[in-house]
Amino acid sequence: MGTLNLEGVSFRYPGRDETVLDQVTLAVPAGGIFGLLGPNGAGKTTLISILAGQLRGATGSIRAGDEPLEALRRRRPHGLGLVPQDYAFYPMLTCAENLRFFGAVQGLGGARLKDRIAAAARFARIESALARRAGRLSGGLKRRLNLAIGLLAEPEILLLDEPTVGVDPQSRAFLLESIRSLAGAGRTIVYTSHYMEEVEAICDQVAIIDHGRVLVSGALSEVIRDGSGLQELFMQLTHRSLRD
Amino acid sequence: MRRLLALWGKEWLALSRDVLGLAVLFLMPAAFIVVMSLALSEVFKGGAARQAEFAVMAADPKLADRLARKLSGDGFRSAPAPADEAAARDGVRRGTPSLVLVVPRDFERALNAPLDGKSTQPQLTLLADPALPPTQLLAFRQRVLGVALALRVSAMMRRAGIAADADAFDLKRAAALSVETIGSSARPSSVQQNVPAWLIFGMFFVVIPISSLFVVERREGTLARLVSLRVPFSMLLLGKVGPYFVVNLAQAALMLLAGRTLVPWFGGETLALPARWDLLAAVTACTSLAAIGWGLLVAVCSRTLEQATVIGGVGNILAAAVGGIMVPRFVMPEAMQKLSEVSPMAWALDGFHAVILRGGGAADLAAPCVKLVALALALFAAALWVHHRRRVLTSAQ
Repeated sequence: MGTLNLEGVSFRYPGRDETVLDQVTLAVPAGGIFGLLGPNGAGKTTLISILAGQLRGATGSIRAGDEPLEALRRRRPHGLGLVPQDYAFYPMLTCAENLRFFGAVQGLGGARLKDRIAAAARFARIESALARRAGRLSGGLKRRLNLAIGLLAEPEILLLDEPTVGVDPQSRAFLLESIRSLAGAGRTIVYTSHYMEEVEAICDQVAIIDHGRVLVSGALSEVIRDGSGLQELFMQLTHRSLRD
Repeated sequence: MRRLLALWGKEWLALSRDVLGLAVLFLMPAAFIVVMSLALSEVFKGGAARQAEFAVMAADPKLADRLARKLSGDGFRSAPAPADEAAARDGVRRGTPSLVLVVPRDFERALNAPLDGKSTQPQLTLLADPALPPTQLLAFRQRVLGVALALRVSAMMRRAGIAADADAFDLKRAAALSVETIGSSARPSSVQQNVPAWLIFGMFFVVIPISSLFVVERREGTLARLVSLRVPFSMLLLGKVGPYFVVNLAQAALMLLAGRTLVPWFGGETLALPARWDLLAAVTACTSLAAIGWGLLVAVCSRTLEQATVIGGVGNILAAAVGGIMVPRFVMPEAMQKLSEVSPMAWALDGFHAVILRGGGAADLAAPCVKLVALALALFAAALWVHHRRRVLTSAQ
């Protein structure tokens, strides 16, 4: 699939004056985990939404390898997967019904759908919860179901928007191991989080954005070359003032 | 097609687990059908079929009895005469009896006056309850005048030496008049009005579950996820049409069944089913499409559950009030009847009445069905347009 290249990407919500993304230029190498950091309102989720095809109207160029991302999406509609920050599934449906539904809308059917549900459930360790209503699961199980849904069609690029919010340390450790293993299998992963230690633990590349602009980006080892740690660098770049 | 089937399946599962939503869709119209069919049964029978009590006050008890006998029948029942006029006025004020005919002492002598318009006419006074329907008051007035005319003509003939009894001039003996209504009835009966009316009302209430689930889908990010999976927005909307179309058909079947079984079980009239089931299915389908189209537009326009419930619920109640669902159109003043023509519920009711009440054919259904389908398409297009205008699908900032 090649590198995901963003050049001069800008975006403004219709009817609003402020620019949410301002000339964002990033290179996300293939087969690794790219950490996208920023305080609340920095533009992380907007950028993820644009990459996922949820928001239209961004200017600039987004390419996957040699072709525009939109062309890749048309050619391989499910080559790019999203695990959103919200629990984006149906709480009144069981886990199995949710997986079946999201698999079917991605064109999976018959034995292939069955196999993919089993594999995704196994990967996310939710097999024992398949018959339970999704709305009644614990926070950790909900996050794992959210991840399993994102993996059904085996996307080559996976966008993870704060996938560990609201889970206990055990579930977080499990999710981080799982995400690392996904990158090990050759996927390109874009990972947003507010937890610096998570990013330091699993990401190869990082970018810090604020007010829609990229403040710093590059290999994690180069970005925190002075040994001060990601947390301190983040606070230096984005300052201490509250954002919400 | 697989994606559309998956969307239908999901919608069906979600709806089947929404007990409150199902109760609104099935129990509410059924309850309205039973309650309103029974509550309004007398109103729909009209004045002639409602029993009204009357009394005759005359100095001569024999004359009072004779007049009471002649005036009884056809919805008017004789009651004992009050002691005096003050008691009569007091009784009528309380509505028991509804009518009192006060006959003066010289009434029989005045009957002998010539019918030339110059002589003094016999004077009668009718005390009437203001709550009595005007048509019923008019009917009793005509009845009294008919009896008075018969008495005067028979008196006149006796003076001319011709043996004649007033009974010979009973209006019913003048000719055999049969009334033929075109279709099964000229006006709907209570059950014929209320079953289709509240069925339509119930069908339009799919707006609540459609818009509620849609708002939840948007709030929880599910809609955004589906868009990121390249499910076209038009398909997401179509994904709601199939299940709710089936729900509407099920509502129609159950509400007709309620009209056949529940209403008579509670003492009301049994709904007569039409001969043309295909036409009934056609008008049900067109009504369903309009109701679902309305639900989709409300769903796309509403940002919160409260907005969806208020816009959908109030919109339905207004359309029902204007469209002759809550109050039959034939009792509305002319201006309101004209206004009712803008309500889709009135179009649907016209269609149902054409089939159930008038035994009409396809040509009779064409106008309401075309209007309903055109509205459904317009609402669907409006929902797509609103979505296109907003573009922003997520709460992402």
